[in-house]
Amino acid sequence: MKLDEFRILFLVTGLVLTLIVASPALSLISLPRSGERFSELWLLDANGESEDYPFNVTAGGEYSVFLGIGNRLGYCAYYVVQVKFRNQSQPAPSSFGPIEERVPSNLSSLFGVRVFVADEGVWEAPLTFSFDYGFNESLMRVEFSSLNVNGVAVDLVGQVIVWDAVNKEFRGFLFFEVWLYDAEVEDFVYHGRFVSLRLNFIV
Amino acid sequence: MKNCEIKRLHDVDVMSVSKLFFFLLVLSVFAAPIFASEALKVNDENVVVLAIDRAEVAVVSAYETVLEAKRTRANVSELLDRLNVAGGHLAEAHMLYKLGDFDGAVSSADRARTWAEEVGNSAEELRIEAYESWIVGLLIRIISSIVGVIAVAFGTFIAWRAFKRRYFQQA
Repeated sequence: MKLDEFRILFLVTGLVLTLIVASPALSLISLPRSGERFSELWLLDANGESEDYPFNVTAGGEYSVFLGIGNRLGYCAYYVVQVKFRNQSQPAPSSFGPIEERVPSNLSSLFGVRVFVADEGVWEAPLTFSFDYGFNESLMRVEFSSLNVNGVAVDLVGQVIVWDAVNKEFRGFLFFEVWLYDAEVEDFVYHGRFVSLRLNFIV
Repeated sequence: MKNCEIKRLHDVDVMSVSKLFFFLLVLSVFAAPIFASEALKVNDENVVVLAIDRAEVAVVSAYETVLEAKRTRANVSELLDRLNVAGGHLAEAHMLYKLGDFDGAVSSADRARTWAEEVGNSAEELRIEAYESWIVGLLIRIISSIVGVIAVAFGTFIAWRAFKRRYFQQA
C-alpha cells in the first residue's frame, strides 16, 4: 500500500472513532419523528372483541361496550369523548376527508368523558348503558325518557324514533365523538373521529 | 248628595290605609319566597358555573404544566393518572349541573380543582427536577464528547506520525 492510501485509512479510522466518542453529545440532537400523527378511537363489545355488539335493545335492558382511545399524536393529549344519540333523520358527524373539514353532529352532548392519554398510550373503559322508553302505538313511534350511562341517568325526553318501514326497525344511533384540547384556541375542537352503535329498539 | 261626594286622600279613613298596608304586607310575605327562590336559583346557577369554570381552568393549567414536564423528559405517567381523576370529577360536575344538582356539581367541580392544583404543583416540581438533571446530563455528555474527540484526534495524529516515521525507515 502507498502512503496516501494509509493516510486515508488513518483519516477514516480517526473519523469513525470521533463519531463514536461524540455519540453521547450527538444523541442530544433529536430528529423530528417521522410518520403520520393521529388518534385512534374504537368500540368493542362486552367481551373486548368486535363481534357481538348490542343491536336489539329493550327498555331497561343493560348493555356493555368498551370505548378506547389510542394517542399517536407525539404528545400527551387531552380528549373529551362526547356521547350523543340520534335517530335516522338527525345529523351524524362526518369522519371522512381532511380533518379540518370534518364536522361534528350539531346535537347536544348527553355525556362527556374527559381523558388524558400519554403519547403512544392507550385508554380503554367499559360503558354500560340502558334506555328508558315507551311505544306510542297511535303515532307508531318510540318515545324516550332517559338514557342511563354508567349509572348516570341522562334526560332524553323529546327524543323519538319513527318506524323504519324499509328496514322494519326502530333505528337509533348511540355515537361517540372525539374532541381534542387545542392549546392555541384554548378550547376543544372536533378531532374528526367518531364511532357509532346502530340500535334497534324492540317494542 | 252628600253621600256621593268623593273623598280626597287626606279624607280617607286611617283604618282603610292600615288595612291596605296589612294586605300588602301579607301578600309580600307569601310572594317573597317565590321571588327569593328564583333569585337564589339564579345565584346558585352562577355559583355552579363559576365553580366549573375555575375547575376547567385548573385542569387545563395542570395539563399544560404536565406537558412542560414531559418536554423536559420527566416521567409523567403517574401525573396523568391523577389528572384523569380530576377529569372524571369535572365530567361529573358538568353532568350534575345538567341534571340540576347544583350542590353536587359545585362539590365535584371543587374536587376536580383540588386534584388539578395538586397535579399542577407536582408537575412543576417534577419539571424543575427533570430540568436540573437534564442540564447535568447535558454537560456531562458534551464535556465527555469534547474530551473524547480531542483524545481521538490527538491519538490518531500521534499514531499517524509514528506510522509515517516507521514507513520511511522501512522504505
